[in-house]
Amino acid sequence: MQPQAMATETNDQHSSELLKGTLQIIILKLLSDNNSMYGYEITQRVRELSDDTIVLTEGSLYPTLHRLEAEGLLKTETVQMGKRIRKYYSLTRQGKKSATTKVDEFASFVRTMSQVLNIKVASAT
Amino acid sequence: MSMITDEHIAYISRDLHYRGIVEEHIQHEMLDHLCEQVDANMTKGQRFIDAYEAALISLGYSEGLLKTQSLIIKSEHSNSLTMLHNYVTVALRNLSRQKIYTLINVFGLAVGLAACLVIGLYIVQEFQFDSHHEYADRIYRIDAHAKIGVNEFDMTYRSAVEAKDLQETFEEIEATVRFRQMGSYLVKTAEGNDNVKESNVIWSEGTFFKVFSVPVLEGNAATALSQPHGVAISKRMADKYYSGKSAVGQPIILDNARYGIVSAVFEDMPATSHFHFDIIIAFNGDWPIAREAASTDYLTENFITYILLKPGADARALGEKLPRFIKQHVGDALARAMGGDFSFDKFLEQGNRYSITLRPLRDIHLHSNLKGEFEPNGSISYVYVIAAVGIVILLIACINFVNLSTARANTRAREVGIRKAMGSLRIHLIRQFLTESLLVSSAGFLIALIMAWLFLPWFNHLAQRDLNIPWASATFIVIILMSTISVGVVAGLYPAFVLSAFNPAKVLKGERIRTSGISAFRNALVVGQLGLTVLFTVVTLAIMQQLRFMQHKNLGYEKDHVIIIHDTYALRPNNVNPFKNEVLNLQGVSTGTVSGYVPVEIENAGRNNNTFWEEGKEPTGENLVTFQRWSGDHDYIKTFGMKLLAGRDFSKDIKTDDQAVIINESAARQFGMKDPVGQRIVKFDVGTQGQEQQQKWTIIGVISDFHFTTMKEAILPLGIFLGNTDGSVSFRYKTDNPKELIAQMENVWKRLAPNQPFNYSFMENDFANMYQAEERLVKIFTLFSAMAIIIACLGLFALASFVAQQRTREIGIRKALGATVESILLLLLKDFGKLVLVAFIVFSPVAYFAVSSWLSSYAYNPGIGPSLYVIPAIIISTIAAAAVLVQSIRAATANPVASLRNE
Repeated sequence: MQPQAMATETNDQHSSELLKGTLQIIILKLLSDNNSMYGYEITQRVRELSDDTIVLTEGSLYPTLHRLEAEGLLKTETVQMGKRIRKYYSLTRQGKKSATTKVDEFASFVRTMSQVLNIKVASAT
Repeated sequence: MSMITDEHIAYISRDLHYRGIVEEHIQHEMLDHLCEQVDANMTKGQRFIDAYEAALISLGYSEGLLKTQSLIIKSEHSNSLTMLHNYVTVALRNLSRQKIYTLINVFGLAVGLAACLVIGLYIVQEFQFDSHHEYADRIYRIDAHAKIGVNEFDMTYRSAVEAKDLQETFEEIEATVRFRQMGSYLVKTAEGNDNVKESNVIWSEGTFFKVFSVPVLEGNAATALSQPHGVAISKRMADKYYSGKSAVGQPIILDNARYGIVSAVFEDMPATSHFHFDIIIAFNGDWPIAREAASTDYLTENFITYILLKPGADARALGEKLPRFIKQHVGDALARAMGGDFSFDKFLEQGNRYSITLRPLRDIHLHSNLKGEFEPNGSISYVYVIAAVGIVILLIACINFVNLSTARANTRAREVGIRKAMGSLRIHLIRQFLTESLLVSSAGFLIALIMAWLFLPWFNHLAQRDLNIPWASATFIVIILMSTISVGVVAGLYPAFVLSAFNPAKVLKGERIRTSGISAFRNALVVGQLGLTVLFTVVTLAIMQQLRFMQHKNLGYEKDHVIIIHDTYALRPNNVNPFKNEVLNLQGVSTGTVSGYVPVEIENAGRNNNTFWEEGKEPTGENLVTFQRWSGDHDYIKTFGMKLLAGRDFSKDIKTDDQAVIINESAARQFGMKDPVGQRIVKFDVGTQGQEQQQKWTIIGVISDFHFTTMKEAILPLGIFLGNTDGSVSFRYKTDNPKELIAQMENVWKRLAPNQPFNYSFMENDFANMYQAEERLVKIFTLFSAMAIIIACLGLFALASFVAQQRTREIGIRKALGATVESILLLLLKDFGKLVLVAFIVFSPVAYFAVSSWLSSYAYNPGIGPSLYVIPAIIISTIAAAAVLVQSIRAATANPVASLRNE
């Protein structure tokens, strides 16, 4: 089952259609740059990095995280925080490999697209 | 720094649960996420309630939350390994949430399985007897069955010559091997050494090592038992007598008279063999047994014969040819002996029987119990009983398992409803429940293995076995794994299907699930479980009662305060009577007697049967009475304290007492004599020249019947004759310090029989030894019925707790309306009481049948009294009531406010 990137459509935000399929790459890349993150942290970091243009919904983020975990790309660690339990995600060895190839694939896809559509983008990665 | 308080967190947590987030790990993650979001919002100046509202918008309220939860569950299930991991995690969580329930379930199962495992190992070994012989499937023993007059014989004894004739007559026989038992022997390795008594001694011949696969470690197997005076000994004997040197070629002196040479050392025979010889003496040479082995007389039957068939030979076809063989050989011999117009056909027509059959080697241990077995064998019916015990215990444990799981159905109904509403397929739920039961069964098996391992040495001691858990055996591991899975699946199947079949809409609306079907089933299971416990307890009690009966029944003689000195033939030739007289002079000894037999079963005391008829009658089938011929001296009856009913005891003053006999009541009855004293009885005898002659005795007294063997046997006719058989000397003593007396006796012995072993026993101990089998049975049954009761009560305890839990609201309302604690306890007890009652009514006849069929194997038994039922009834209802009460008291004494507020 494919996760749906369901960004709420408000002004200045990318349409969900465009985000579809990129959520995995975003998560993998974020986790390869930062050792381990928890769910809320990921939504905030994406918001920051995209200047509020990409807002991940919980309804898409968490299922994707759990699926990546199920596929063995992510591992988790829970930490007791007072009355709460926080779950940190980080890449497994397989996840690290996958992150590199997926980001590379995506970069080449963007290059091709910009060539096809004849637009200029800042180089990825 | 953080704006959010613990109350806020608790509020969000409750709200999430209310909105239907039931998966614990998802709830934790959502809670953390929401708290962060709310905290961020509050930092921006929002009030908590607005901040939470804003956070919920982004999550999509209940609908969005549930959708997220469902998506998460689905993504987790996208990978079968993760799914399994998830099932296990959830199962572990569920199990640890109800610790008592899990503990009872695992422990109950483990106890049941451990019992089963031990029983299984025992039974497997029973069936492996004698399978280690390479030719096991081609070896047969010749068994004889005869009925002559009123006497029947089933025995292993055959004539010496029969084996040779069989082999010459039937070409399918490859080899034969004969044995001759002569009881125990005194063994020493050189003149001047002390004698040691060895019990596992047998006479045999050269083909022994060819027919039976007994590895020879030293010496030549082919010739070891063909050379004159050759003696093959076991490794154990070699280590005992010739440690540090090669045993072969060494001298071995038997009974101070036979000078043998060790010709071979063989491996100790395994526990799973129906014989365990330590010393095998060759028939060859000039020894009396060797001469006997060469005899051609068909009517002297002292040898045990085994045959080895050629590969492919048909044993059944051979068996069908045997009657003709018997007619030809035994028939002829009988005709010669009886003379006149005797013919074998006429002999058979008169209702007599005489036949031999082939007994497969591997059947001997479990199926044969004839006169003249090497050792007491096992018994297939005992194996069946033990197997049934194992199955019943497993059944009780499995019933627990199923009962507890279905009882939990109600408490888990909500969970099932929500899972189904979220899109869980029924198969997922079934898998989830099966995972739980598999986990419990795995834990149960693991603990069972440990328990069995700890418990085996003790069981081995009890059952006289050397069982081991075959950790390294692949078959064993596969069986354990398969059993773990099948017990888990079978026990978990019913709850899995019942629970997963709940209709989510109804469950979530709070409708009560219809469980009447389930609880009827559960009640039936509880009845079954309690009933089996009743069965166990009644049977155990019956065995105990029989044992007590046998130990305390009036025997017809005085078994207490008698010391028996064994193997007094070591005093030969002249010292038996001096020994008796010297001991009689000791302080505290009242009487003593030299005799062939004593009225208790002791080692080496094979009984001797002779056939007599009343003088003046024709010795035909009807008039012949076979009875035991015991020899004793003048003090025999006085020493053992038998009761003289008529006539007199032997007297030293009356010379004709050499030709006198004292018979017991049974013998008088069989002869049909109203006034036996003074009558004469006659017996055939072979004279010194081998000619037929008759021997006569006058009956001078009748003694009351006394038990001289186990109470399985009816008291047989018996006659006591004056004689000098010196098997043992028995003394009646009056002292309170028999130890000192024995020390004094030993001093006398050492003087009169230097270097001979002094063996003694107390008659009461010999008597107790006869009932060792029953005592073991009592121990085994007590153990297993205790296990059954423990498991069943654990189940009852857990079940009562669930019932009390389910009826919390009812109890609360009753109490609020003024019901007393006692009335509520009574209410709860009544339900279980009914089950106990039904169990009793249904299973009492079963117990009656089991007990009466067991008791029928004892000629003397106390019968089945009401106490056999009353005592188990009291025990089981007390324990059951206690188990139920512990739970019910808690429910009944709870404050109704608390229980009603909860709902």
